[in-house]
Amino acid sequence: MKTAFIMQKEIRESILTPKGFLWYILTSVILSVLSYLFLTNRELSLLDQGTMLYMIMNFITALGVLMGLVLGADAFAGEIERGTLEALFLSPVKRREIAAGKLCAVLTNWGIIFAISLPYLYIVGKGGQNLLPGILYLGVLGTLLSLIFSAFSMGLSARIKSMKNSLIISFFIFLLAGAPIFLSAALRRTWFGRIFDLLNPFADAVNTFDSVVIDSQGLSYQTGRVAIICIYTLLCIWFLKRSAAKVQM
Amino acid sequence: MKKTILTLSMIFFATMLNYTYAAASGRITISINPPSVQAKMGDRITYTGTITNNSGKPVTNLITYISLANVTQGKEAPMDLEDWSANKAIRVDTIAPHGTYMGKWPMRLIDSGGYVAYITVVDKNNNIPVISMMSHLDIKRVLRLNPNNVLPVAIGEPILIGAVFVFISFKRRPGVR
Repeated sequence: MKTAFIMQKEIRESILTPKGFLWYILTSVILSVLSYLFLTNRELSLLDQGTMLYMIMNFITALGVLMGLVLGADAFAGEIERGTLEALFLSPVKRREIAAGKLCAVLTNWGIIFAISLPYLYIVGKGGQNLLPGILYLGVLGTLLSLIFSAFSMGLSARIKSMKNSLIISFFIFLLAGAPIFLSAALRRTWFGRIFDLLNPFADAVNTFDSVVIDSQGLSYQTGRVAIICIYTLLCIWFLKRSAAKVQM
Repeated sequence: MKKTILTLSMIFFATMLNYTYAAASGRITISINPPSVQAKMGDRITYTGTITNNSGKPVTNLITYISLANVTQGKEAPMDLEDWSANKAIRVDTIAPHGTYMGKWPMRLIDSGGYVAYITVVDKNNNIPVISMMSHLDIKRVLRLNPNNVLPVAIGEPILIGAVFVFISFKRRPGVR
């Protein structure tokens, strides 16, 4: 109940505000440009529809993770810097509940991004292969990735107590996680690339999307990667719980 | 005199090369099937390569792969098959004497134009790779994208979210209840 109260407070303060809504307008504009280019540009429209769907799914996931990181970095450090955390600590709410409420608000943000992206996914993937499984996997894995990165960023924000620093570290982690996108296919096939791909939750999600949407592979092919993402989710929630319990003014 | 020696040497080397090629291709032969394909963008086709060991001894450690070259006028270039095919190279451990091996290369047709596909077999015991005949692939362009389907969403959704944004801004204005 208290968690729900904190969640509502967070949603009111950071999502249902004109500034917060600007994010969604920008998200929508970017997705509009991207899907319009995919479908009408001469070169891009030559891509297979499955590939288009896969690319837009990666983009939506990265966007959700990025926004989760920013909201997570603000969760504790931002409140400390604004001097509002003290009032929150004085209320009869446990720190664990505060952290859970803030995490649920970040998940709501991901939910809104996912909802915004649905019409775009539909128009890009309509008539192509594996649209429905793709949306399903994006919903599940996007939620888990959002949990992983925002819980980590929140835990960091509680420990470092500086929004700027926790944001910079979170961005570095995000870039590291996104590194497979910058690596060539040949490098990713080396032993280092394979291990890095396997241990990196972002790469696991991207490879799962590839496997489901482009290669039409079933759930049995995805279990290993999904299990790794689940382990990361539990680890990051545990990290957040520990960090929230230790947070001091 | 020099010209004569040079010409004779070239004829000699060409003969040797031809002989070696014949020997190599005599031991292993490769065929590609289907010999020609007409399809449209987005279709999935499968090329089958049949490697035959014509000798009385087993052949081992062969590498076989498919190549695709764009032969459309003005676009002539070898293609990177990463987006076209999931299975580019196949390693064949052994083919028994007078035996055959069948390799399959499923392919998703990404771009329109005229192409040729051919399969190469590399045998590390021979210096010359064995190459199949070329299979002609003609891919027709598909205009599956109707901009009218995308425009209502691409324009409508940002406007809709913008309207909600304006509504929230108005509601949050001081003095508005």
